[in-house]
Amino acid sequence: MDLTRRSFLRLTAAAAGGTLAVRGRAARAAAPEKINVAFFLETKPTMIAKGEGWFEEMTKARISWSEAGSGAEINTGMAAGSFDFGLAIGSSPTAAGISQNIPYQLIGMVDNIGPAEDMIVRKAANIKSPADFKGKKVATPFGSTSHFRLLGFLRTNRLTEKDVTVLDMKPDAEVAAWQRGDIDAAYVWSPAKAKMLEAGGVRFPTSKALDAAGYVIADLIVVRTAFAQQYPDAVVGFLRAYRKALELWKTKPAEAAAIVAKQAGVAPEVAKSEMEEYDFVPFDAQLSPTWLGTPGTPGKFTEVLKRTADFLVEQKSIRSAPALAAFQKATNTTYLQQAARG
Amino acid sequence: MSPPGRARGWGRLGDRWVTVGVLALFGAAWVAVTRSGWVNDLFLPGPGLLWDGFVDLVENGYKSRSLWEHGALSLKRVLLGFATGAAVGTLLGLAMGYNRKIEAFFDPLVEFFRPLPQLAYLVLLIVWFGIGDRAQIVLLFLTALPVSSVAAMDGVKSVSIQRVQAARSLGASGWQVFRHVVFPSALPEIFTGARLAIGVVYATLIAAEIIAGSTGLGWMILDAGRFLRSEYVFVGIVLLGLLGLLLDRLLLGIELRVVHWAGRD
Repeated sequence: MDLTRRSFLRLTAAAAGGTLAVRGRAARAAAPEKINVAFFLETKPTMIAKGEGWFEEMTKARISWSEAGSGAEINTGMAAGSFDFGLAIGSSPTAAGISQNIPYQLIGMVDNIGPAEDMIVRKAANIKSPADFKGKKVATPFGSTSHFRLLGFLRTNRLTEKDVTVLDMKPDAEVAAWQRGDIDAAYVWSPAKAKMLEAGGVRFPTSKALDAAGYVIADLIVVRTAFAQQYPDAVVGFLRAYRKALELWKTKPAEAAAIVAKQAGVAPEVAKSEMEEYDFVPFDAQLSPTWLGTPGTPGKFTEVLKRTADFLVEQKSIRSAPALAAFQKATNTTYLQQAARG
Repeated sequence: MSPPGRARGWGRLGDRWVTVGVLALFGAAWVAVTRSGWVNDLFLPGPGLLWDGFVDLVENGYKSRSLWEHGALSLKRVLLGFATGAAVGTLLGLAMGYNRKIEAFFDPLVEFFRPLPQLAYLVLLIVWFGIGDRAQIVLLFLTALPVSSVAAMDGVKSVSIQRVQAARSLGASGWQVFRHVVFPSALPEIFTGARLAIGVVYATLIAAEIIAGSTGLGWMILDAGRFLRSEYVFVGIVLLGLLGLLLDRLLLGIELRVVHWAGRD
């Protein structure tokens, strides 16, 4: 066959055009071929929907799961377009992400963290009041919701990082340092928290006062904006899968905890007690003015995000925070509303 | 000067121009790409933003410590970890190269440790050495040690047997052979090992500074990265790079003075 250079080029162009046409058709289809989800391996109802394959079933797509180490990783992956969903990303990385124009939307909540992340102090450190923290070493994973709360605790009690040594440690490292007696306190979540309580730790409750002072922290569901625009049905399906899991946890906690335990690799009792610490907000409540609100009437939680972002600017973690309107715009409750209905 | 010498001089000058040219090209591409708005600031901050970040770090420091404090702490960790690791590693390597029994004893340990990723035993280090500077320096020590010891061992083994026999036949004792023949012959390799070691110690600095942070350039890069503050990340990287270059040049300078005869057998 006499394939001249020109005819070859024409052929390639035709082939490329064909591929484009095929891709174009796929783009308009209701279900994506594959969804990339960043998730945390944790004891939450999200793990039920993951373990039982409900996310796949209700989005009608194959899901590629990537375990994230921190909310910051989810932000980076979203900025790079590698993730479509971030499952249970903390409110402080989300506030940072929205401020930095990471192209994603907040579409739902998993939990209001409340007392599930709190201060644990070593009995021997003899800490009875906030003033007793002076000269002590407190560890927390930097950039996390716990870190945000801890800084809020210092601020509301007029303590600075000169009075208290704040150390950046991952939860497993905190447990190791705790066992050696190198740290006096930690602001963290379970299982690290539970391990410290077993090893000579006591709670130093701060969450109620901090929630009242505006340092509310929560775990959220975010979706890459371009993905949501292309596959709105899959987004609704994703939320529906989580709703089903949440309902199982509310109605049959023992059964739910057993599934979660298997996914997270812990004992069912451990899963159950850890899950009981969180306030998994039902969809109706998420759509109320207290939390996300409804399309057109954003809820109070958007103000929490704005305050969180302002705080992060003061901490020099992010360069600048946009106005409240930007956080309201980044919160899209249309999918949540649909998922709550059907 | 002889013509070949001049030619070499011209050649060197030409090489310089290539270096300058490449740097200029990179700089121009950087400015063009960031100015045009093709890439998001989060991925690649422009020169203006980078400079602002640098000035900000110089003036206000990073999270309750000045930039120089972070730099000095990192440098201290690198130097202590490197100095102890390279010293012990070199002694061990010399002994291993000189004596087969010692080699048989230590070689499996060194070979086991050498390729092990440091992150694997990070938590163990905290359990054993706590969260102070000690755990970090121990980590860097453990990184430098195998590199230096393998280099020193190879250095000893590559000493030509004729030289040793010549010294022996002239009546040198075991120690004299080691002191005057083996050790000097192994020195070039020991220096090469040292330069390799400081490289890996430097690369491990970030892993070391995650242990229980809030100080050091490595930690600063890590922490700024968490919030995609890429201007701080880039400033940190540039500073680390320059510091690393300086350390390497320093070692090279010492090497050229001490083993100026290397490669002229």
